[in-house]
Amino acid sequence: MTGRLGRSGRWVFLVLLGLYFLVPQLAMARFAFQNVPVVLLGPDTFFSKWSFDALGQALAEPALWQATGVSAVLAVLTVALTLVLLVPPTIYVEVRAPRLRPWLSAATLVPWVIPPIALVVGVAATFRAVAPGFLASTASLVPFYAVWALPFTYRALDAGLRAINARTLVEAATSLGSSTAGAVVRVLLPNLTASLVAAGGLTTALVLGEFAFASLLLKQTLPTYLVDFQRSQARAGMALALAVMVLTALALAAVVRLLRRRGLGTTTLGL
Amino acid sequence: MTDLTTVTARRRTTAGGPPRVAQQRRGLPHLGAVAALTPFALFLAVFLLWPMAAVVWHAITPNGVLGTSGLVRAVSGPYRSAFVNSFVLSGASAVIGGVIGLVLALVVRDLRRPAWIAPATDAFSSVASQLGGVPLAFAFIATIGTQGLLTKALSAVGIDVRSVFSLSSLAGITLVYLYFQIPMMYLVVAPAVGGLRRSWREASELLGAGPVRYWLTIAGPILAPSVLGGMVLLFINAFSAYATAYVLSSSTSLVPLQIRFVLQGNVITGEQDLGYALVTWTVVLMGVGLVVMQLLQRRAARWTAA
Repeated sequence: MTGRLGRSGRWVFLVLLGLYFLVPQLAMARFAFQNVPVVLLGPDTFFSKWSFDALGQALAEPALWQATGVSAVLAVLTVALTLVLLVPPTIYVEVRAPRLRPWLSAATLVPWVIPPIALVVGVAATFRAVAPGFLASTASLVPFYAVWALPFTYRALDAGLRAINARTLVEAATSLGSSTAGAVVRVLLPNLTASLVAAGGLTTALVLGEFAFASLLLKQTLPTYLVDFQRSQARAGMALALAVMVLTALALAAVVRLLRRRGLGTTTLGL
Repeated sequence: MTDLTTVTARRRTTAGGPPRVAQQRRGLPHLGAVAALTPFALFLAVFLLWPMAAVVWHAITPNGVLGTSGLVRAVSGPYRSAFVNSFVLSGASAVIGGVIGLVLALVVRDLRRPAWIAPATDAFSSVASQLGGVPLAFAFIATIGTQGLLTKALSAVGIDVRSVFSLSSLAGITLVYLYFQIPMMYLVVAPAVGGLRRSWREASELLGAGPVRYWLTIAGPILAPSVLGGMVLLFINAFSAYATAYVLSSSTSLVPLQIRFVLQGNVITGEQDLGYALVTWTVVLMGVGLVVMQLLQRRAARWTAA
C-alpha cells in the first residue's frame, strides 16, 4: 500500500516516536549516573564523572531493603491469593458452564473501573469502623491488590484455557477413566503454566508499582519509599527509580516472551 | 457442554427407572459450582462491593438524610474545576494517544520489510503500556522539568521551554501520560488494523474508489468501533491514574488528587461526605465508560482477525 506518507515518512514517524520513548530514560540515566551538580549538567559536561555511586548509595539504605521486602512479600501473597480465588471459577466456567462466562468476565472487569483512590475511601469508611486492627497491618493491602489483579489474571487464564481447548481435554481425560479433579490437576494445570506465570508476573508488576493505596493507608512499600527517598536525595532517588523501571520492564518483557512462545498474543495482557 | 447436558437431560426423561443415579450426576456439578464460585463471590462482596456500596450510600445520604446535596456540592464550586481538569486531561491524552497509537498500528502494518518491526512493537507496547507510576514521573522530571536535560539543551540553543511549558500543567501531565497511552492504544487497535484485508482495498479500487472513498466507506467504519473503544479505555486509564499526577504536581486540581485531599485533610463530617460524593461520581463515570467500551468492542469483534 502506498499511502501519501511514503516509506521514508513512516520511518520518520517511527524514529520520532522512538525518541519520545527513549529520551526520558536516557535523561534519567544521565541525571542519576553523572556525579555532576544538576545545574552544570549541560552539553559541555557530557563525558565527565560518570559513576554508579548514586545507585550504590541508594542500595546501601537499609530502609530500601525493608520497603522492597514488604513489597515482595505483598506481591507473593497477592499472586497466591489471586490464583487461589480465580483458578477454580475460571476452570469451572470454561469446562462445565460456558454460559456463565460473560458473567465471570464482567465480574472480573468491575475492579478495573474502581480506581485505587476510590476504593481506599470505601475501605476507610467500612473496615476502619468494623475491624480497626485489620488496616493497621501491612498485610491488609493484599486483598485489595488481589482485587486489582483480577482483570489481568482472569484474561490470562481464560486465554490459556481456550488456547488448549480445556473442555475437550477434560472430556478426553474423563472418558479415559480419570476423575474430573484428576483431569484438572494432571492435565489442565500443567498446560496452563505459561498463563499462570504470566498472570503472576503481571500481578507482581502491579503490586511493585502501586502507590495510591499504600500511600493513603500510610504503608511503606517500594513506591512510597521511592517518593520519600527522592525528596531527600534527588540523584540517588533517580538512580533507584531508573533501576526499578528497568527491572520492571525486563520482568514484563520476560512475561511477553513466555506468552508468545505459547502462541498467546500479547494483546491478552491488556484489557 | 451443551451436548452433554442435553444428553443427560434426555436420559432423565426417558429412563425414569433409576432416578437416584441421574440426580447424583446432576448434583455433583452443582456442588462443584458452589465450591468453585463461592469463595470468589464472597471475596468480591467483602473487599469490593461492600466498601463501594458504603461509599455510594454515604454519598446519597449526606448528614444521615437521603438527599442529593452532597452529590451536587461535589460538582460545583472549586470541585467543578477538578472534574473539568480531569476531563480535559483524560480527553486530551485519550484523543492524542489514540490518534498516535492508531497511526503507529497503520505504519507498522504497512512497513512489512524489516520482519522484526511488528513483533518488536507488540512486545515494546505490552511493556510500555504497563509502565507508569512514580518512576515514569521522575523520568520526565529529569528530561523536561525545570532542571531537566532537554530543557537545558533547548535553552542553550535559545528556546526557553520554561516560559511556555510546565510538567505540572495539564499539558505537561498529558505529555507524560502519553508514554503509556500510546502503547495501550496500539495494543487495542493493532488486531483491528491487522483485520483489514488487502483484498477489500483491491476490490474497492477495481470498482473505482479512490483512497479517500476507501477510508470513508470501508476502512473507517470497520476501524471506528475499535478506535472509539480504545479511546474510551484510554480515558478511563487516565482518569484513574494517581501516582504520576501526584508526583508531578500534587497541587493541580484533579479528581483523584482532590479525593486524597478530602480524605487526608478533613475529618469534619461534612467534608467526609464530600469525599464520598467525589468517589461516587468517579465510579459512575468509569462504569458508564466500561459499558460504552463493551458495546463498542462487541461491534469491533465482528471484523477483528482473532
